[in-house]
Amino acid sequence: MTADVGEREISTGEGADRPPEERGIARDGVRLLVSTPEDEQHHDFRDLPELLRPGDLMVVNESATVAASLPSRSRLGEFLVNLSTWYGGDLWVAEPRWGPGRPGPLPLVPGDDLEVGGVECRVVAPYPGIPRLDFLRAGGDLTDAMKRVGRPIRYGYAAREFPLECYQTEFARVPGSAEMPSASRPFTQSLLRRLRSSGVEFASILLHAGVSSLEFGDFPKGVSPVFPEPFEVPAPTVAAIRRARARGSRVVAVGTTVVRALESATDSCGLRAARGFTRLYLHRERPVRSVDALLTGFHDARSTHLALLEAFVGIHRLRRSYAVAAREGYLWHEFGDSHLILGGPDGEAAQ
Amino acid sequence: MMPMKSGSPPVALVTGASRGLGAVLVEFLLEEGFVVIGNARDPKGSKDLADRLPSAVGRLRLVSGDIAEPDTRRQLVAQVDELGRIDLLVNNASELGRSPLPTLAEYPVGEIDRVFRVNVHAPLSLIQGLLPALRESHGRIVNISSDAARGGYPGWGVYGASKAALDLLSLTFAHELDGSGVSVISVDPGDMRTAMHQAAYPGQDISDRPLPEATLPFWAWLLHQDASKVNGVRFQAQSDRWEVSP
Repeated sequence: MTADVGEREISTGEGADRPPEERGIARDGVRLLVSTPEDEQHHDFRDLPELLRPGDLMVVNESATVAASLPSRSRLGEFLVNLSTWYGGDLWVAEPRWGPGRPGPLPLVPGDDLEVGGVECRVVAPYPGIPRLDFLRAGGDLTDAMKRVGRPIRYGYAAREFPLECYQTEFARVPGSAEMPSASRPFTQSLLRRLRSSGVEFASILLHAGVSSLEFGDFPKGVSPVFPEPFEVPAPTVAAIRRARARGSRVVAVGTTVVRALESATDSCGLRAARGFTRLYLHRERPVRSVDALLTGFHDARSTHLALLEAFVGIHRLRRSYAVAAREGYLWHEFGDSHLILGGPDGEAAQ
Repeated sequence: MMPMKSGSPPVALVTGASRGLGAVLVEFLLEEGFVVIGNARDPKGSKDLADRLPSAVGRLRLVSGDIAEPDTRRQLVAQVDELGRIDLLVNNASELGRSPLPTLAEYPVGEIDRVFRVNVHAPLSLIQGLLPALRESHGRIVNISSDAARGGYPGWGVYGASKAALDLLSLTFAHELDGSGVSVISVDPGDMRTAMHQAAYPGQDISDRPLPEATLPFWAWLLHQDASKVNGVRFQAQSDRWEVSP
């Protein structure tokens, strides 16, 4: 579990502190860095139809973002509770924080009562090995509380609060992600029309992303740095991927959540329909085989997303493209620029 | 959430409740709002558990006694009858057998019986005794298995054989009870830092194994799954994914 990119040097650029629309750019006007096994090319996101081939299959995450950050209080005073994952019924995994830029852990213990968005809740148990997360049992409807008083989860780097619409994508259909599946944020209806008319196909999976606030340092040895999240790979998507492979087309994952869902649905017999919870951690010792290309953002050096990218193309290619991205001023984080990574051999190994 | 009859809180019965995985489950279920009937062989174990959970007074009922003895099982069934429902039965009590673990070539055959009485006969008999109440409550049965049931690990042959037998009982029950509202699940909790695991490796350092609390996310997930989607499934609690049937 120590196989993380965070231990090694990789370039990091500046983070976008607000959505592109707030910077005078359209959603699909962000920049797009294209990484091939050979080199990096600079594009706009709107160039995507020209960069893909007719028949290529884009797999997207249909999870919609929920307003998971709730004003809360207890004997400790006032704080935030960021709801990460619904386990069903009245049970949630949540991250109590002092504020967007002030993480916990808060000194909560099992049996403690707290009010989360006006709903009485109780701490059931700490999440094993991760003191910043707790299992909470709700005495009322937290989904309703999110609609009433919830805000999108944000962290210290965001310039201010933005409305929930800023955290939704064109593919959002099923509410459940604590944080936006941000790789698909730049897609617009007009771009989708152009992609479809140029012969690009679409299929979907579902993976409700939990909080992303934790880094490798927050996970003790033996605790998976990815915690369980609900996922579903439906049968029609499995069929669409098989057809794409049969005709020699590429499978393009839109976002790391898609890669995790597809890899979670792959066993020794190949890809199959699946539904459940996954905490599959993809890193250099657990390579990615289910996709031919990955459209994603730019990720922090100590994130599991970056470990997944390394699992896909190797550390040499990743270092090369991140050095270019940082030098050329590409923007990091969920409101930042995009990165299309085409699969292929690791740069240095190929030389 | 698990199906619940209105009015009274849900009831869980956990065998082997005083230590290791059983104790972790008892505490979690209490916080989840269950009334818990716990069984431990050793009266001191029961007392220690009760002392550790002072806030559970009235919601934790402890029955001390060897689960392999019919009288212990009768007392447990009587507790369920008194509460009038059983939503969850966890057959967790397990007998490792001789420590350190002998190879099959050297296994004292006379000691096999005890392993099978605790790991196979007792769960079967307890399920039989509780079936009317389980049917009534649409309860779920969880039988604690082991990777030794499939691994063929040297030394683990007798224990593993008993757990393989339990797995087959689980699967057969799942088929026989299909449509009754009762679901049966087999769970391999994985290696854990418990007294039993230490007994399997006396004198060795097992501190690299996770504490039984590591399985909590799995239990939290399992208890909230639709019973019909998990009936007859064998899960690995420490696996990187838990899937329901399509």
